[in-house]
Amino acid sequence: MKAFRFGQAAAVLTAGALALTACGGNSSAAGTSSAGGSGSASAAADYSALAGTITAGGSSAQANAQAAWSAGFKAQTPKVTVNYDKSQGSGGGVTNFTAGSYDFAGSDAYLSADQATKAQAVCGTGGAVNLPVYLDGVAIVFHLKGVDKLQLSANTLAKIFSQQVKTWDDAAIMADNPGVTLPSTAITTVTRSDGSGTTQNFSNYLHQVAPDVWTAPVSNKWPVAGSSAQQGGSGVVNTVKAGDGTIGYADHSAIGDLPAAAIKAGDKYVSFSQDGVTKAIATAVTPAKSTVAGDLGQDIDYTKLTSGDAYPIPLISYDILCTKFKDAAQAKLATAYINYVVSDQGQKIAAKNAGSAPLPIELADKIRATLKTVS
Amino acid sequence: MPGRPTPGKPTQGKPRSGKPNAAARTRPADRVFKFLSTSAAVSIMVILAGVALFLIIRALPAITASWSTNPELKSGVTGGFASFWAYVSPLAFGTVWASVIALLMATPVAIGIALFISHYSPRRMASFLGYIIDLLAAVPSVVYGLWGILVMRPFLLPLQEWLNAYLGWIPLFSGKVTSTGSSILTGAVVLAVMVLPIITAICREIFLQTPKLHEEAALALGSTRWEMIQLCVFPYARSGMVSAILLGLGRALGETMAVAMIISPAIIASFRIITEGENSQTIASNIALNFPIATGMQRDALIGTGLVLFVISLAVNMVARLIVNAGTGRKKVFWRKEKVSTS
Repeated sequence: MKAFRFGQAAAVLTAGALALTACGGNSSAAGTSSAGGSGSASAAADYSALAGTITAGGSSAQANAQAAWSAGFKAQTPKVTVNYDKSQGSGGGVTNFTAGSYDFAGSDAYLSADQATKAQAVCGTGGAVNLPVYLDGVAIVFHLKGVDKLQLSANTLAKIFSQQVKTWDDAAIMADNPGVTLPSTAITTVTRSDGSGTTQNFSNYLHQVAPDVWTAPVSNKWPVAGSSAQQGGSGVVNTVKAGDGTIGYADHSAIGDLPAAAIKAGDKYVSFSQDGVTKAIATAVTPAKSTVAGDLGQDIDYTKLTSGDAYPIPLISYDILCTKFKDAAQAKLATAYINYVVSDQGQKIAAKNAGSAPLPIELADKIRATLKTVS
Repeated sequence: MPGRPTPGKPTQGKPRSGKPNAAARTRPADRVFKFLSTSAAVSIMVILAGVALFLIIRALPAITASWSTNPELKSGVTGGFASFWAYVSPLAFGTVWASVIALLMATPVAIGIALFISHYSPRRMASFLGYIIDLLAAVPSVVYGLWGILVMRPFLLPLQEWLNAYLGWIPLFSGKVTSTGSSILTGAVVLAVMVLPIITAICREIFLQTPKLHEEAALALGSTRWEMIQLCVFPYARSGMVSAILLGLGRALGETMAVAMIISPAIIASFRIITEGENSQTIASNIALNFPIATGMQRDALIGTGLVLFVISLAVNMVARLIVNAGTGRKKVFWRKEKVSTS
């Protein structure tokens, strides 16, 4: 009996040890990648000679798109595996990237000056480039009995989210929705309790377009007290859905069947559309200050979005990679993958599976040009 | 049956019956197991020291930094606070506050269940109930979180509105009442369910150890069952109950996922428990919510709050130990007296 017990314990221990070694083996796979890849970024379709593992992680906003991309990429290059860890969040992605453990990081914000300096320790003096690969919009979702269409101007939006407008039949909201009867239900604003790139974008939008009303700072942590703060985009969406008189903001790809408000831009109210986001990015971005050649970090000027066909609250998420990899074979893998991501096919897959908006053609061309300089 | 020793009663001093040679000769197996168990004991110390060291080393830069000028600390998840202590004190308050409310609700129920199992229920039902309670401890906290969001939030909403409407003059229930249910009260109810098993299990064990002689003596003197419990069980189990509650507190302090999912937090020190925007945030949930997006120094600051939680938990556990030790010391005397009287 005793001997039998011993045997059991030994079996468990051995199994554990095997599992551990199996995990350890994973990371060395990158080293065995073949050096015979076609390499040049222009030969976008031929990935067949590539093999190895791409390790990346960061922004959870990109998670669905990254899953679609890595599956699509895998179909063309069966020997390449892409591991994108969404649990890290943007901050974790950048931290792991500047520590040298990622081939690229996904982040909702481009590298700050401080982070760019840190990245030089891994990437060499050439630094790292921010590539805007994923576009979406911030949707204003609401749940109000008897109302399924809502129009809001930027000022009204700022008043609602800074807790200055407290009921749905307030004059400001009535003025935006002529002919609609609004109940006197109290407004409950639903925001993110965790730090988030969506919050950063939305507060930046309010700060730019409604500076008279919105006096709170731009931050990735919701800066106004008094809202119902929920964890994650799904937490916001679920709470808005469960309540009455609730209004919140979330990535459009995550809102499910909740109605979203049309936002005033110029003198028209614009509903979310993927085309609308693409148009917005094409017109409203200016390159961010950077010391790295080919860096595509973008600042969005929301005040330029007045044409009436561009969605007024677009959202950019970046993939960040070194201009000079330590391992040339790994650089080939990563550039081939990002090339696939920004290709027409890659953007279509993401639009279909993750609800993202396709990149404007000029921006995709710029990303391809930058990728050629990555080695 | 009546001679069951109390916990902490020394038995080493007495020579045990039979085999005097057993301890004299050491065999290889003895040595191997002594080594194994010693290294297991040492590894606990090493791990604890390692965690403490990690927390201190990572937290120091954020604790000593100037929060108003550091470019990372003055923005984002740590923005708006003058120093590390200004950031961590409302969080520490919220951690203790949420746990205390949870304990206030859990303790009476837990003691009731434990008493029922140890003194009222038929034997077969007792073991079944004990099994159910232990099962409660095995449910993952994310499931409790989902249960809190989908079931308890809407369920407790009318109660909170009622409390605010009629008892709103009590500071506890004042403020703008929640409309989504994400209040600290909802979170505390779920927390209470989560700490219930640990308090119940310990109390049950202690109640069962009440000397049968005392109980029978009380009953023989004509007391009812409830009087017997008041006279014998509670005095005997007092220190054990306190330590059970403190261990439950330790569990509640560190709970992360359920709190993060349910409570709508703000980093403020507020006693209000049924509002939406004035719920004090807990340390563990704050770390879980903000660590993914935090960068550099912000991460160090969050780790620093973890260090504070570590210290609070350590203090609670040490107090629990002290109480248990003091309690058993007193009981030893009590036991001897009783022995004299019965012999």
